[in-house]
Amino acid sequence: MMPSEKKRGEFKKNTSGKRLSTMIMNDYLDLHRRAYEGAFVVWIAIIVPAELFGGFEKVVYAVPESHAALCAGKGTGPVLCEKAEGFGYSTDLCSYARIDIGTAFDGGRDSPTFGLPRPDLLISNTNNCSLLVKWFDVYHRAWGVPHLVLDIPFCYENQKERDFRYIMDQFGTLISTIEEMSGQRFDLDKARESVRLSSEAMKEWKRFLGFAAHRPSGITAFDSFVQMAPILTSRGTRRLVDHYRLLADETAEQVKNGIFPVPGEKYRLLWDNIAPWHQLRKMSGRLAGLGANITSASYTYCIGALEGEYDPYEFDGNDPLAWLARLQNFSVCPHGLNLRGMAMKDVIGRNAIDGVVFASNRSCKVYSLMQMDQMRYIREELGLPCVMIDVDHADVRKYSEETAFTRLEALLEMIDA
Amino acid sequence: MLYLYNDIVIYSGSRTVRYGGCPRYGGKGGGEMQSFPDSLVDLKSQGHTLIGCFPLYPPLELLHSFGLTPVVLWGLRQDITHLTRSDRHLQPYACGVARSLSEFVLSRGGELLDAIFMYNACDTLRNLPEILGSSLDRHGSPIPLFRLHIPAVPLSRAFASDYLNEGIRELIGELEKFTGRSFSAQTFLNSTGLYNRQRRLSRDLERLAAAGRLRFSDCSDFLLSAGRMSLDDHISILERTIREFNGRAPGHQGVRIMLSGILPPPVALLDAIERAGLTVVANDIAALRRSYDYLPAASADPGAYYQDLYRNHYPCTTILPSADSRLETIMQTVRESGVQGFIFVGEKFCEYEYFEIPAVKRMIEAEGVRTLELEIGMDDALNLDAYQTRIEAFAEMLLHETRGSRRDNDAV
Ligand code: SF4
Ligand code: SF4
Repeated sequence: MMPSEKKRGEFKKNTSGKRLSTMIMNDYLDLHRRAYEGAFVVWIAIIVPAELFGGFEKVVYAVPESHAALCAGKGTGPVLCEKAEGFGYSTDLCSYARIDIGTAFDGGRDSPTFGLPRPDLLISNTNNCSLLVKWFDVYHRAWGVPHLVLDIPFCYENQKERDFRYIMDQFGTLISTIEEMSGQRFDLDKARESVRLSSEAMKEWKRFLGFAAHRPSGITAFDSFVQMAPILTSRGTRRLVDHYRLLADETAEQVKNGIFPVPGEKYRLLWDNIAPWHQLRKMSGRLAGLGANITSASYTYCIGALEGEYDPYEFDGNDPLAWLARLQNFSVCPHGLNLRGMAMKDVIGRNAIDGVVFASNRSCKVYSLMQMDQMRYIREELGLPCVMIDVDHADVRKYSEETAFTRLEALLEMIDA
Repeated sequence: MLYLYNDIVIYSGSRTVRYGGCPRYGGKGGGEMQSFPDSLVDLKSQGHTLIGCFPLYPPLELLHSFGLTPVVLWGLRQDITHLTRSDRHLQPYACGVARSLSEFVLSRGGELLDAIFMYNACDTLRNLPEILGSSLDRHGSPIPLFRLHIPAVPLSRAFASDYLNEGIRELIGELEKFTGRSFSAQTFLNSTGLYNRQRRLSRDLERLAAAGRLRFSDCSDFLLSAGRMSLDDHISILERTIREFNGRAPGHQGVRIMLSGILPPPVALLDAIERAGLTVVANDIAALRRSYDYLPAASADPGAYYQDLYRNHYPCTTILPSADSRLETIMQTVRESGVQGFIFVGEKFCEYEYFEIPAVKRMIEAEGVRTLELEIGMDDALNLDAYQTRIEAFAEMLLHETRGSRRDNDAV
């Protein structure tokens, strides 16, 4: 056993890991149960503001992207991708979409959650990518389920006032569509409470991520990848706040006690792109063996902040819809190079990053087709070593561990040089 | 490439054949080959102010009304074979349209383009402005960039049409500053009239091709040449071409097929399709029929005009609200044109197209129409043998079935 692995073994995963598994399992069970009992089921793209559903009595939501990530993490990504390919969907399409189509058109077989309950309404959006719209159209056509699209203008600069108004108008359509289809009334106060809880949860989330600033880091980005899951299943709930508060508290306790995920941490790295769901354990373990810790990731530090920023965007208690609309460009894909660079520069400084790993992901062109320029910026403007590796976030068939590690080791050498 | 037709320069995919000078149409020959960049050099030397537009359906009329000459930057693959500059910025899994556009802008844009226009046509294109802009800035050749966000929700929703109106107003303000001209409703009206004339003529030319009076491959060349010349020149070429081919007897009609995709296949493949005995009688190509099928009502009000254009546009995989009508429209065309075969010309890595192919394919095959999928990537343009073989096999199957069904009919 490598010494660092032994030390890593001392790092207790604390109770947050177990709590997380239980929470996710319960969330999916609850989703199926409530759908069975007649709740109105909405399938949403990740960034669709799920807090709004908290304003209804009996509306439940499922996030196909999140379910696809879970499948990839549990190792069923390739078999589900192959099913979609068998139905005629190109291997060049996003692997989340292929996993989801493979699940949906085969009755949920091979899914750790037995798939998702059939939707009454599909809500996609264009902010992360417009291919989500095309993906949801597949179900709209196959099942005749109505499909509502939220159109979120891309941010080259900070969100414009008129874009904000446009988004607010669309939230109005979303609410009235659900009211009409489900026969339920929307309660703004309940939605406000969901938003308040989300905002609180995001503060705790950022407190947790903040331990990446400690040397050695109190967390790895892989922890943040795993721990982000309930944001997609429990958004706007008290249990999410409690979970992240405990997670941050437990992490603080470990740091205080000198327990670190990579105790012999020599290299502090930043990851740019979606999590490599099929490699979480392998990659983090192998990197730890090299004394390297990917402490931060753009995929998770963007959560809860405005485009181009790091700190959480706090809810002022007034209009919950306004808070949600203003946050619609937070995730990396719906904002441009300059904003991405600003946030990355901030995190590099805060967390004393030594090098950046750009995971070029052919499944997610929106995330990836800016990385060559972003890499140039980090290298030339900030003087930090960078490397680009090829990783498909959910289709392990398109990943070569050896090729990736040859490059990662080269990055560590550059840092040493 | 470009060639001369009765003193008018015409773009032609990559072939040396030419109307007027084309042996197969009995012309006298004499043409001058020109690359896409060279054609822009010519336009510039004639005093045109060129605005390079990202595909697919930019508001050409508005740009034109400000005295600009819009050139839509697609279909460059034949001219841009080396991606030296764009490969420093884009991974190879960007589609060929984006890669060749980037190569052109980065290598010749500073010298040839006075401005660039882009809208949110697709995810790949939306990522490009800053990449191209910062590189051009670094190389000391910045180009002004104009952007517009066209709602991806139905324009029947009042807030969406208001949003588009506002965007157009903003764009007009920026164009006024850039050109030093004020917006003129009358000039805009004239521009809409001219573009509608071009659309009408394009449809007429396509009908001539469907009737076998000229080859689809040549028709496609004529139509694509729109992006490389002034609007007036293109209109006059279309008029003269239509006059010439109207009088010709229909050629041999092969098995009727339809093409679908972003761009028509490379010329060598179109030739292979025709050589194999297939006749393209209909298409659902973004750079062709999807671009000119709908004629908006002429208007002096850009807001009203673009509401109409984008709301009623021929369905396209990139116009998200048109998803529901797209399948119906294709089906209707398949039925009306009586095609027996349907070829998908997939633009490699274009997710918009690839998400829809399975549904379209199922629908068409249920109608008894045979389908073939081709996938054209950046490198495939140079290595088309394998595709030719597949086209020949597809054609053989269709011809065999046609003969078989004729025999069956005779027997009855
Ligand atoms: S392409 Fe990227 S942003 Fe879009 S669904 Fe796939 S992973 Fe998400
Ligand atoms: S081919 Fe597809 S992906 Fe490429 S620019 Fe066109 S619409 Fe975008």
